[in-house]
Amino acid sequence: MAQPPVIRVPKPARSSYQPNRPLSKSSLLQSQVKHFRDLEKDLPPERQTGIPIDSITTEGQAAEYIRRMTVQLHRPPGGV
Amino acid sequence: MSAGLDNLKHVVVLMMENRSFDHMLGALHAEDARINGLAGNETNPDTANEPAQVAPQAEFQSQLDPDPDHSFPAVQKQLFFGTPGPPAVAAMQGFVQSYWDQQHNVAHSHKIMYCFAPGKLPVLHTLAQSYAVFNGWFSSIPGPTVCNRAFAHYGTSFGQVNLDIFYVKDASESIYERMLAAGRTTKLYYFDPSSSTQEVVNLLKNQPQIFGTYQQFLEDCKNNALPDYSFVEPNYSDHPGDDGGELLASDQHPDHDVQAGEVFIASIYDAIRQNPDLWQSTALLITYDEHGGIYDHVPPPACIPDGFHAPLADTNNMPFAFDRLGVRVPSILVSPWIAKGTVVPGPEDPANGRVFEHASIPATITQHFIGNYDNRTPREKAAQTFLDLLTDEMRPDSDCPTIEFE
Repeated sequence: MAQPPVIRVPKPARSSYQPNRPLSKSSLLQSQVKHFRDLEKDLPPERQTGIPIDSITTEGQAAEYIRRMTVQLHRPPGGV
Repeated sequence: MSAGLDNLKHVVVLMMENRSFDHMLGALHAEDARINGLAGNETNPDTANEPAQVAPQAEFQSQLDPDPDHSFPAVQKQLFFGTPGPPAVAAMQGFVQSYWDQQHNVAHSHKIMYCFAPGKLPVLHTLAQSYAVFNGWFSSIPGPTVCNRAFAHYGTSFGQVNLDIFYVKDASESIYERMLAAGRTTKLYYFDPSSSTQEVVNLLKNQPQIFGTYQQFLEDCKNNALPDYSFVEPNYSDHPGDDGGELLASDQHPDHDVQAGEVFIASIYDAIRQNPDLWQSTALLITYDEHGGIYDHVPPPACIPDGFHAPLADTNNMPFAFDRLGVRVPSILVSPWIAKGTVVPGPEDPANGRVFEHASIPATITQHFIGNYDNRTPREKAAQTFLDLLTDEMRPDSDCPTIEFE
């Protein structure tokens, strides 16, 4: 039986991983942080992250802030 | 209705980031002249007025750093440099000049003309040549990510041409809300909470139940639980995983590793391909939100306006009525019901060419799963739909590529 053609997918280089890449290099991630900050203002204080967005200077820090906000937004109103 | 369309139960859209058609697929023209890519002699003038030529020298990472400017004003320069500006046809001669503006480095500015050599992107190149590649799929706005992605969800950006958060004006509903109201199923899968959604945070706030993760997508594919319509977002950042491992950004946004995006695209395809029931009942669209400031040779055409006017403060005082499209992006439609090597003609074929843009996504989903629906922009109503590419004949398994991760 004929076998389907195979696409071999190489692994990216390990050195590609740069969570300390400056956030200033990505207007996209900067804007994503701002979007979440916009939403955070409307959350009750107990659900806010307490992270000043000025303190977010790397891609990895932006991801951590976005994670905490996303988790909050998935919680039902009234939940903490 | 074709047998392929008759069998269609699921549509999956994967939207990647910031790469132009010619940059990713242009070199395939040498292998298939029907693909409207690069002849190899295309140039842009540099700031020394010397021609910078396209070259198959694109690298996976570290080449487009800084991130090429693709704000609305920068894209106008990329399109209309050397012309009187709109409504003239874009000359596509300002990409190198625009990139030079960021670093004032002539040699570096030439890299905006680079494309990937045939085979360097085994996933994207093979899928393009195995299924259907669109010669005429354009970003919706000559501008950045958020407003372009908005068109995929709402058929409009509500007058925005920038990266600001957008608020839904009037009674417009996202394609997800329309689907749910029609009794259909739908999900927006972001990669993980650390990557989250890039452009519809308001939807996340108001309707978190329509969101899932990439891991859930994989499980839904395995368990025959995929909704009627799925939209998949890649990983937008390098960050640690729950297990402490290293998760690479897979969005292909410069300067993220393009190879990580190849792995991600392959994983989405593979999740569908591995499930025989899903494979024969699913169409997968792989597209890119916008060109990211990178060279493409095809002038964006005019389009039906969506009724909005961009704020002059965002356009460097250039009036913009959403009456022309942004730069062309790679788009590939995957299904075993698509004839091998389908090339959908674009503007290069005045008789048969078709123009698609991101409003084609909600237009197609609405047409297929909902039917008559009036509460949407004139732009979306006029947008081309793409499921007519499914044929009466399902290709044998042996004709459809499988994935092997190294």
